[in-house]
This record gives sequence, C-alpha cells and structure tokens, in this order.
Amino acid sequence: MLRPAPRRTQRIGAYKQTAAAYALLAPSLVGVLGFLLAPVVIVLVLSLFDWKLLSTPEFIGLANYRKLFTDSDVWHSLLVTLYYVIICVPGTTILSLLLALLVDRKLRGMKYFRALLVIPWMATPVALGLVWSWIFDPGRGALNQFLGLFGVHGPAWLSSPVLAMPSVAAVHIWQFAGYNMLFFLAGLQNIPPSLREASSLDGASPVAHFFSITLPLLRPTMLFVLITNVIGSFQAFDTIFVMTEGGPGDSTEVTTYLIYDEAFKKFDFGYASTISVLLFAVVLIATISQFVYFERRTTYEVSG
Amino acid sequence: MSLSRRTFLIGAGSVLALAGCGSSNDKASSGGGKVELVYRLWDEQQEIGYKAVFAEFTKENPDITVRMEVLPWDQYWTKLTTELASGKAPDVFWLTVDYFPDFAGKGVLAPLDDLISKAGLKLDAYNPNVVQSYKFEDKQLGMPKDMGIVGLLYNKDLFKKAGVTMPAELTWAPDGSGSFLEVARKLTVGTKQWGFCSWNHNQTQWLNWIASNGGHAMDKPYGTFDFAGQKSVEALQFARDLIFKWKVSPDGTRTNPPTGQATEMFYRGEVAMFPANNALLPFALPEVKFPIGVAAMPAGPAGRTVVINGLAETMFAKTKHPEEAGKLVAFLGTEKAQRLMGDAGYIIPALTDAGAGYQAFWQKKGIDVQPFLDSAAGSTVNLPIADGWTSKSTEINKAANDLFLDKTPVQDIAATMDKIGNDR
Repeated sequence: MLRPAPRRTQRIGAYKQTAAAYALLAPSLVGVLGFLLAPVVIVLVLSLFDWKLLSTPEFIGLANYRKLFTDSDVWHSLLVTLYYVIICVPGTTILSLLLALLVDRKLRGMKYFRALLVIPWMATPVALGLVWSWIFDPGRGALNQFLGLFGVHGPAWLSSPVLAMPSVAAVHIWQFAGYNMLFFLAGLQNIPPSLREASSLDGASPVAHFFSITLPLLRPTMLFVLITNVIGSFQAFDTIFVMTEGGPGDSTEVTTYLIYDEAFKKFDFGYASTISVLLFAVVLIATISQFVYFERRTTYEVSG
Repeated sequence: MSLSRRTFLIGAGSVLALAGCGSSNDKASSGGGKVELVYRLWDEQQEIGYKAVFAEFTKENPDITVRMEVLPWDQYWTKLTTELASGKAPDVFWLTVDYFPDFAGKGVLAPLDDLISKAGLKLDAYNPNVVQSYKFEDKQLGMPKDMGIVGLLYNKDLFKKAGVTMPAELTWAPDGSGSFLEVARKLTVGTKQWGFCSWNHNQTQWLNWIASNGGHAMDKPYGTFDFAGQKSVEALQFARDLIFKWKVSPDGTRTNPPTGQATEMFYRGEVAMFPANNALLPFALPEVKFPIGVAAMPAGPAGRTVVINGLAETMFAKTKHPEEAGKLVAFLGTEKAQRLMGDAGYIIPALTDAGAGYQAFWQKKGIDVQPFLDSAAGSTVNLPIADGWTSKSTEINKAANDLFLDKTPVQDIAATMDKIGNDR
C-alpha cells in the first residue's frame, strides 16, 4: 500500500512535472516565440515608423494608419481579398465534402485514391502556380488546347480582368480540396453506423439522411474546415504571386500581395507593416465571428 | 494551409535581425591570400560573356576569382536592396539609370574616382550620357558598362510574305499619317498577325513616342513629371490608337505586364515589328525561326529621339575586399574587358572606341545593327530619374496598363501618372 505523499513533495512533484513539460516544449516554443511572436511584435512597432529600408527608420506615430484609411489601394485590395475568400471558401468546402462522401466507402485501392487527392496540397505552391500558369496560357496552354478540340477558342484566362480572379481561385480550390477532404472523411467515419440503420428503418431517403443526420453531426469538422479555410484564403499569396502578380491591373491584388508590393517592391517597410496589422485585425474579426456563430449550433458529441 | 504570411513575417524578421539573410559575402573564401568576389547581374546571356572577361581578369590577378550570381529582374532589386540594408551585399553589381538615385544618396555605393584615375582610365573616353547618369554630388559611383539603346526589330519573313520592303526611314504622327502606320497596316492580317505591338513597356515603347513627339516625360532630372502635357498625351493616345483605332496591334489584355506575352508574340511570328533594347538580340536569336531585321525607331513630328539606358557596374561601399573589388571594377572599364563583351555581341560598350566588334559580330549572324549605333549617336533621352523612383515607377507602369485597354480616357491616365510621379 502506498501512503499518500506529504504535500511538500507533491508540490515539488508538480514543479518537476511543469519543468519537464516546459523542457519538452522548449524547442517548439523557441520557434513560436522567435519566428512568430517576435516578428508580430516587430511588425506592430514598425507600423509606427517611416522606414524605406535604405533610409534610417523615423518614428511617425500613427501617420501610417492615417494614410491607411485614405488609401484606396488598400480598401480595393480588401474587396479583392473578400472576393477571393467568397469564391474559395464555399468552393473548397463543398468540393472537399463531396470528395469525402465519394471516398468514404470500402473499395479496393480506395486508400491510393484518397492519397492521390491530397497530393496537390503537398506540392510546392510556387511550382503549382507555375504549372497552372502554363495550363492557362492562352496560346499553348493545355486548357485552351483542350477547348480547341471542341472548336472553342479559349480566352486569355490570366490576363483578363474578369477571368483572372476565378482562375486563380480555382487553383486554390483544387489545391486544398483534397486536404480538407481528409477532415470530412475523419468526421464521417466518426458517425456511428447504427444511425444510418436507424434512419433507414424510419424510412429516411439518403438525401434526407445526409441533411438531417450527417451534416449536423459534421458541424465540429465544418467549424474547423471553415475557419482554417477563411484564414488560409485571407492569407493566400504564393499561387497569386506566381500566376498574376496581382494583375491584370489590380484585379487579383489581394491584401497579402499589396503588402509584398509595398515592402519588397517599394521598400516601404513601415507602411507594409501597417497593412499587415490591418489584415491581421480583419482575419481576427472574421475568425471570432465564425466561432460565435457556430458556438450555439454545434454538437461535439454523439451519444448513442 | 498557406504559410505565406508566416513566411513573409519570417522574411521581414530576419531582415530586421540583420543576421545572415542570404548573404553572399560569407561564402567568399579569404584564406591563403585568395579572394573570391561576387558579381551580381540579371542577364543570363551576358553571364556567358562575362565568363571570358573574368577568366582574363583572374589571369592578370591570379589571387582573385569572381563568382557570378544571376537573378531574375524582379528578384534582383528585392534581394539587392534588402542585402544592402543588412550590410551584406555582392562586391560588384549592375545598376540602371533609373534605380541609381535610390541608392546613390544612401552611402552604399563606393566612389570610384580614385581607382579610375589610378588605373589610368579616362572618363571622357566613355559615352557621356552613361558617365553623367552615374555621377552623384560630383562623385563617379558607377563604371560605365554599356549602352542599351532602343531600335525596331522586325520579322523579315512576314515582310517578304506581305511583299513589303522596310523603308529607309519610318515616320509617325499623332494623326496617323506617316510611313510607319502604312507599313504596319500592310503587315496586319485579321486578328492572327499584327504589324506592330503597342504594349506597356516604358523604355522601348511609350517614352519613345513622347520624346519623338517633342514631349517630355519629365522637365529635367529630379524635376516634375509631365505626362499630362499636350505632346505627351498625343503620344500616349497614339500608343492606344495603334490598337483600337488603327488596329495594327494586339490589345492590353494580351500584352499587359505581368502576365502579357508581347515579346513572345514577336518570337512566335505573330507580330511583325517590335521595338527592343539591343540587349534583347542575344535572347531573341535562339527563340525565333525567322531572320531578324533591325530598323531605327520611327521618327515623329519632332524627329527621332530614343530612350538610352546605359548600365554601370557599381561597387558595394562596405565590401570586405575593397582593394580586390576595386581592381575588378577598374578592369571592367578597360578596353580589353569592354571589347570582350562587345565583340561577342552582348553589348554596345560604353567605351566609345570599343564598339567596332559589336557590329562585326552581328553582321556574321546576318543582322545589321547599324540602326542601333546610329540611334545611339543621334538624339537620345534618359529614363526619368526621381527620388523614390523605384516605388513610383512600379505605380506609374501599373497605371499605364490602362493605356492599352479602351476604358479610361488617356488624359485621365496621364494625370494619374503625374500625380504618382510628383507626389512627395
């Protein structure tokens, strides 16, 4: 029989445990502090400076923020970003859910098929963007060559102000649908099969079953997928950078691209930091409102 | 999910930390009296040519070797500027006239006057335009390297097919009169083949129209932009009319940067006449399946004036090897080095007497480059120079995209360009 340890040792034990936990956390903590939190703080500080990289930084208080509110480029870029988010988030979510339903069956070779769908997410975004810009090439691109087989004269996808945005958004959807499918797949497989039996015994059609049983039970997954997708779409940069550089005109100039432009093309690091802070605030608000919206409507447990 | 923002922040953070961000000097070995210098450029054709130049340099200076770093145009400026700010930049690197002001006053470029005189080089032996362009507060900060001059490349096959011979002198005027438009019309076939390509490229396109119409993009270096002046607007309108009124050029949806493919359209034989900097020739030659002809740019109501964009080699003020880098810069200015590049057809050397080989090289390839040389000797105009030009030029060029779409009136676009340029 063990006797209960005296309190002191208990406390020391707790300290030891905490110390061990921190020791184990240390490597990733250094990464988070050094490469995530520190730059965030630096960006906040920089947003108060006029710094043209080769010039000496000069403290200017809130002048960058005042400029922000009158800068039509910034607000235009937010609208462009919103447009991108509005295409990408539903597109990715619906497509990944459909894919999950499709691969959620036990067939031979299904696991290879699933893996195949995730590959776009694993590939380097810059390489993807380059390959897609070849596919979209108006003259020699695969897409227009294919359309040509049916006598259709394909447009210049990436150089048309109207088509460029849907085109780059389509690449985003293609890139992330397979990855998000994994979450829906996991969610689907957590739903007890007995529910399906019960609902079919009660005479529910597969469609009714999907909308009344499956979808509500997928809410936790849905919450996760939507939030990460909204954040991811707000932050999208790489494929746009490679495919259109924000063009034609400013039709695909999302806020992240504008930040890049201000910092690394115009070398105005202070103002670029200010726009970063704005984007951070926008993403934060979007995320919090999603949480609030879903909080009341989500069931995390299936009893039964 | 996309890590882009995080990656960006890490990038910004490391620039701030000024710690080992893509430094190229670190790798240079300095042990045993041997020094490796880093030479940065953006032109992968000239990289081939410089191999011979640096081999010759190392022969004369056995303890110094030169490593070249070639970066694509856009990244060139991004990387160079961040490196200069962090204090670790290549020892010697290229500069253009229009980027020069952003660097000149910042103490990152080493003055070259002493090493030029010590090496026995005379600045008046170089093209005066290029020499002047790299002077700042009476100090020479750039070694004149070459002259980039604008001329008109044309597809000889398309001319032959249309039964047109290139006139000895092309002329244009805002009202559409003149031989240039006449020729361009004859070479346009529906929407498959265009006589000309009017697209958004300041150096080879609209700045030339403005100058040869008697207008000024800017009244004087570091002065006031005047895109909205009457002569300039006429010229910019002409650039648009070539597309929408005279219909001899593809429109901006196909040519506007960054996704447009103007140069490729010429390479593919879809465009008959294409203005270019002479430095494009080594790139164009392997790409095309037709013989290339060279003509001088069309002369406007005010005669012919073309844009000249002379390059210079500059030396990092804080290089770890000032003596060796100085030797290299001095060598690059010698007749030997400039001839090596000119004779191999890469550049028209800035050293006035070193240019004969350039013409001979291209003659052997069947291309008569005399119009380029004549244009360089004639009336030329520099790219505009202004403080903060790097950021302004990006904005102005972006605004100019609208010239090649038929929406906003030219007058309004020109006013926007002035507003960006003159904003302090």
